[in-house]
Amino acid sequence: MKVILHILEHDFRNFFRYKWWLAGLISMNLADLFIMALIYNQMVSPDIVELINSYFTFFAPGVTVIGLFASAFMIGREINMEVRRQIHHYMLSLPITRLELAVGRLLAGGLRGMMYMSPLLVTTFLFLGFPSLSQFIVILGALFLLATGISGLSIATAVSTTSLEKFVTARGLIYYVLFFCSSIFYPLSLIQKLGREGIMPQPIVVLAEFNPLSSATDLMRSFLVGTPDFTFNMIRNLVAFSIIFTVAATFAYMKIVERK
Amino acid sequence: MFLQFKFLIILRTIWFVAQIAFFGLIASRMVIPQLADIYFEYYIAGVVIMMLYSTSVFIGYDIFEEAEHGVFEYLLSLPISRRELVLGRSIGGGIRSFIFVGPLIAISLFVVGMTNLINFLIAFSALFLFAFGVSGMSITVAVGLKSSDRFDILMGVLNAFIVRLSTAMYPQAFVQEASQVYATLANINPVTFASDLFRWGVGIERYLTNTPLAAIIGLVIFFSAFTLVGITFYERRLEGGGWQ
Repeated sequence: MKVILHILEHDFRNFFRYKWWLAGLISMNLADLFIMALIYNQMVSPDIVELINSYFTFFAPGVTVIGLFASAFMIGREINMEVRRQIHHYMLSLPITRLELAVGRLLAGGLRGMMYMSPLLVTTFLFLGFPSLSQFIVILGALFLLATGISGLSIATAVSTTSLEKFVTARGLIYYVLFFCSSIFYPLSLIQKLGREGIMPQPIVVLAEFNPLSSATDLMRSFLVGTPDFTFNMIRNLVAFSIIFTVAATFAYMKIVERK
Repeated sequence: MFLQFKFLIILRTIWFVAQIAFFGLIASRMVIPQLADIYFEYYIAGVVIMMLYSTSVFIGYDIFEEAEHGVFEYLLSLPISRRELVLGRSIGGGIRSFIFVGPLIAISLFVVGMTNLINFLIAFSALFLFAFGVSGMSITVAVGLKSSDRFDILMGVLNAFIVRLSTAMYPQAFVQEASQVYATLANINPVTFASDLFRWGVGIERYLTNTPLAAIIGLVIFFSAFTLVGITFYERRLEGGGWQ
C-alpha cells in the first residue's frame, strides 16, 4: 500500500505541473456552463423543460462529468510519453511489483480526475442544491468508479498507440463518441424517442443507454434535480465500465512495461 | 506543411461529423417550435465557421515549430521583407484552412442547400477575410508568447469564449434574452460576422444579427487590425533573435 502511495504522490506532482492547462480547462468548462447553457435555457422547448426543469440545471452535472473525463484521461498522455521515451525501464528498476505499479497509475489517474472535478461539483451543488449525506456518498462513489474506469480506458489507449498524434486522435474519437452519444447534452428519453422514430440509429441509442457518462450524469441529476428517476442500472453500468477498463488497463500496462 | 497536421485534420473531421450527426440533430428536436424547423441547418452553418476558425489558428503552431527547428534564421535570409513574410503567412494560413474546410463546406451545402449563387460567392469571398484575420490573430498571439504550451492553452480558452460568445451556435435574439453583456460581445465578434455571412450566403436569413454589408465591414476591420498588429509584433520579434 505504501508503494502505491508513492506512485500516487509521483503522479499528483506531475499533475500540478499542468496547472495552467488545468486552469484553461476549467475556464472552458465554466464557459460551457455560464454561457452556452444559459443561452440554451432560452431556446429549449416547453416539452423538454417539463422533462428537465431548465437547461442550466440539466447541464450542470454534465459539465462536472465532462471535467472529470478530461482530467482523468490525462494520465494516458503521460503514460504514452513514458512508453515512447522508454521511461518504463526506469520504472521497472524500482522496488515495486508490476501489479503495484499498474494499480498505482490507474488509481492516480482516477483520483486526479476526482480532484480536478471537485470545484465543478461544488459549483453544481451551489446552483442545484446540496444532496443528503447518503446521496453525496453515492455520488462520490459513482464518480470514483467513473474516474477509475476512464483512467483505465486512457491507459489502455495510451499503451496501444505508438505515437502522441495517434493517441490524441484516438482520445478525440473516444471523447466525441462518448460525449455526444450520452445524456450529457440532452435527455436520454429524447435520444430514445428519436431511436423509436427511426431518426437515431438503434446502436447509438443502446450506446447512450449503457454509456457510463450517461449513468453518472443521470445519477447526479436524479439526486439533485429529481429527474430522471434513480435506477440501479446506473450503478450497474458504472461498475461494469470500471471493472472492465481497470482490469484491461492493468494487464495492458503490465504487458507494455515488460516489453523489451 | 499543413499536411503534417493530418491527425489534427482527422480529429477535426470526427468532431465535425459528431457535431452535426449527434448534437445538431438532437438539439434541433430540443429547441422551441419557431426555431426547430431551421435549427439543424442553422447549426451546420455555425459548425462550418467554428471549423474555419479552428483550422486558421493552426498557423500559430507553425511559428513555434519554426522557432524550435531554426527555420526562422532561414526565413530571415530570404530576399523578402518582414511585412511580406507576415502577410504571406497570414494569407497562406487562411487559404490552407479553406483547403481543409472546403470539402466540409461542400457537405454542408449538400445538407443545407443554396438559394442564391451570387450571395453565396460574396459570402464565400468574405470568409477568406475571416480566415486571414484569424491567422493574423494566431500569429500575433504566437509571437507574443514564448511557450507553445501557453499558446495551446490560451488559444483553447480564446476559442471557448469567442465561439460561445458568438452566434455560431444560437441566434442573437436568445443571446440577448440570456444576457445583455453576452449580446453586446456577440455583436462585435468576428465569428458572428462570419456566421451571419455564411448563413446569408446559403439562404438561412431568419435570424441574422447584422446586415451582410455590416458583417463584411466587420470582417474587413478584423482582418486589417490583426494583419497590422501581426506584422508589427512579428517584425519586432524577428529582430535581434526575439523568438529564441
